[in-house]
Amino acid sequence: MMKTVKIALTGNPNSGKTTLYNAVTGRTEYIGNWPGVTVQKKETKLKRKYSCKNVDVRIVDLPGAYSISPFTDEEAITRNFILNQRPDVIINIIDGANISRSLYFTTQLLELSIPVVTALNKNDIIAKRQDIVNIPRLEQELGCPVIPITATKEQGLIQLITTAVEAVGKNQVQVLPPFAYSESLLRQKYIDKIIKNTITKKADLSTTTLSDKLDKIIAHKWLGIPIFFALMCLVYYLSIDGIGGYLSTYLNNFITKIIIPDTAAFLAYLKVPPLLKGLVVNGAVAGLGAVIGFLPLIMILFFCLSLLEDSGYMARIAVIMDGHFKKIGLSGKSIIPMIIGSGCAIPGVMAVRTIENVNEKRMTAILTPFIPCGAKLPIIALFAAVFYPKSSWVGPSIYFTAIIVIVLGGLLLQKLFLWEQTSSFVIELPEYKIPSLKHAFNQMFYQARNFIRKASTIILVMNTLVWFMQGHNYYLQPVADQSVSMLSTIGNLVSPLLTPLGFVGWQPAVAIITGFAAKENVVATLAILLGIASTDLLHTPGGPLAQFFNPVTAYAFLIFNLFAPPCFAAVSAMNAELGRKWLLRGLAFQFCVGYILAMIISQIGTLIIYGKFAHGFQSAIIISILLFVIIIWKIRRTALKPKKYSLFT
Amino acid sequence: MLLSDAKAGYEGYINNILGDKKVKQFLVSLGCYKGAKIKLVSILAGTYVINIKDSRYALDHKMASSIELLD
Repeated sequence: MMKTVKIALTGNPNSGKTTLYNAVTGRTEYIGNWPGVTVQKKETKLKRKYSCKNVDVRIVDLPGAYSISPFTDEEAITRNFILNQRPDVIINIIDGANISRSLYFTTQLLELSIPVVTALNKNDIIAKRQDIVNIPRLEQELGCPVIPITATKEQGLIQLITTAVEAVGKNQVQVLPPFAYSESLLRQKYIDKIIKNTITKKADLSTTTLSDKLDKIIAHKWLGIPIFFALMCLVYYLSIDGIGGYLSTYLNNFITKIIIPDTAAFLAYLKVPPLLKGLVVNGAVAGLGAVIGFLPLIMILFFCLSLLEDSGYMARIAVIMDGHFKKIGLSGKSIIPMIIGSGCAIPGVMAVRTIENVNEKRMTAILTPFIPCGAKLPIIALFAAVFYPKSSWVGPSIYFTAIIVIVLGGLLLQKLFLWEQTSSFVIELPEYKIPSLKHAFNQMFYQARNFIRKASTIILVMNTLVWFMQGHNYYLQPVADQSVSMLSTIGNLVSPLLTPLGFVGWQPAVAIITGFAAKENVVATLAILLGIASTDLLHTPGGPLAQFFNPVTAYAFLIFNLFAPPCFAAVSAMNAELGRKWLLRGLAFQFCVGYILAMIISQIGTLIIYGKFAHGFQSAIIISILLFVIIIWKIRRTALKPKKYSLFT
Repeated sequence: MLLSDAKAGYEGYINNILGDKKVKQFLVSLGCYKGAKIKLVSILAGTYVINIKDSRYALDHKMASSIELLD
């Protein structure tokens, strides 16, 4: 029988655990050059190259930790796994760039009587610095095998895995003197002695390096934020208007002019029944095509983000933002979930775990979905193409609106739920490195696969459903007129709620509803509903979308979809980080923000630009007054409360 | 002298770590403890960039004022 062996990867943050994990398992887990990339446990089996005879090896990747006593939530995951699940072997990764700090955690792991195999990673950095590590002596001092590896180049991994598998069932000999938890100082002194005995150092790393010089510019008090904005604008420009938009136009045309008519012709040739043909051509293919056409946008976005994350910039932007974000109740580290969230809100929300202070963590989880994610790009791109052709300000303007809303939202949340500011901020600054193109390409194709998978499951199902419901009534009889279909009744139920926002008709309401399953559905649903009613192409300037929106209400529709609560998957990520009570508060807040913003844009915009009142002006006034009264009442109530009651539990 | 009062380029030793136990434990695990060598590399946008052992860390003013230096 195959023996199952569980090997856990542990080590300091940014020491290369996930790089090693990806190398030995062939997975494409998220990596980046900042501490705290991995925030959850992942487990899988080895890829064939590294697998051993008669042993089924399961590798568990854990979040990084500086010690066994956790400072943040993701460190606690590591501690709980090791102490409660007790893996068969621990592979402890020592960061070759900082051996002495790594050994603090190593010596704690050696006390758990679980066999430990130590991997001395970043051997290339050790060689570059011309440090000399006496490995046999280090093995002797620690009482466990030490294998030098370079995870990025897949060097030494076979030996590491074999040694780890051989260590199963062995007793971990305790050669270190036992230290109590409180004797952390004695432990550090002991480590200093080990370092002195085993490592000869050449370079003095405290001297000013190139990274320090770059930091002086990149993390400069005044230049830091403009540089950040310029970078993000560039990322968006490249994705929406630049190469991403360019490729996407071609793909969209290809799909609408060739794929859709050809599929229709092919099915007609096969004499497929009209119901099935309609389902495939007007439902599945038209809806999917509208979404898949935007694939290049998403690929370029993830490519750019991956370069940014790999460079070491993320820790710097946290430093720049800390002072500003503290004023609105966030931490400098809050910017990291937000940048990740500009790819996808789900890992973005999960990344809030690296924030130590619970209030800052909650605020970040509520505000992160405001950053437009990759799935919202198709909506932005479609509306920009139809209502604002040949202008590239729409994408960046959405991003700036998001930042302003986050700032105001932070201030408002603080007023609504008062608390004391007690947090402190510390982050390791990894050395800058030239981002790996190979990694960026891998990440891009990985995300493309994810996108296609999502399109072929949840989006496809929703498209089929939308097509069926727009063409049938409740007696399941086909109807020629969409306005008597099942879908229109559902849309009509919701659409009065949207009247104050200037949205007319049941179709926008349906698009908003399907958007909660996946934001791409907003585009797909509009494509299906309009594709059947009109032969004009959806994404042509002034195309069929113009019957529902004018440029002002179109922008309001965009804003509502971007700021109203995110898709269900992101909501469940929020639930995991916030818990039920705060999830509900967060969702209510997000809904109100999206609603009010869309209402303001629609009503005031129409008044200014067209010089007349928009649809639903009276109800908008009533809602505004009501909300204003509620907010003021809540703020005053919070302000009157004694502070100790207003702190979270 | 506290780290928050030091000038960029200060090189010396830590005399004491103030503050609550959790922060203290965390700083010790980074190698920030009484008698350890520390360098204030620079002050960027109000945060203190220090070198401890072989790594750089950015600390905010509050964290920096919990590190007492040997004069």
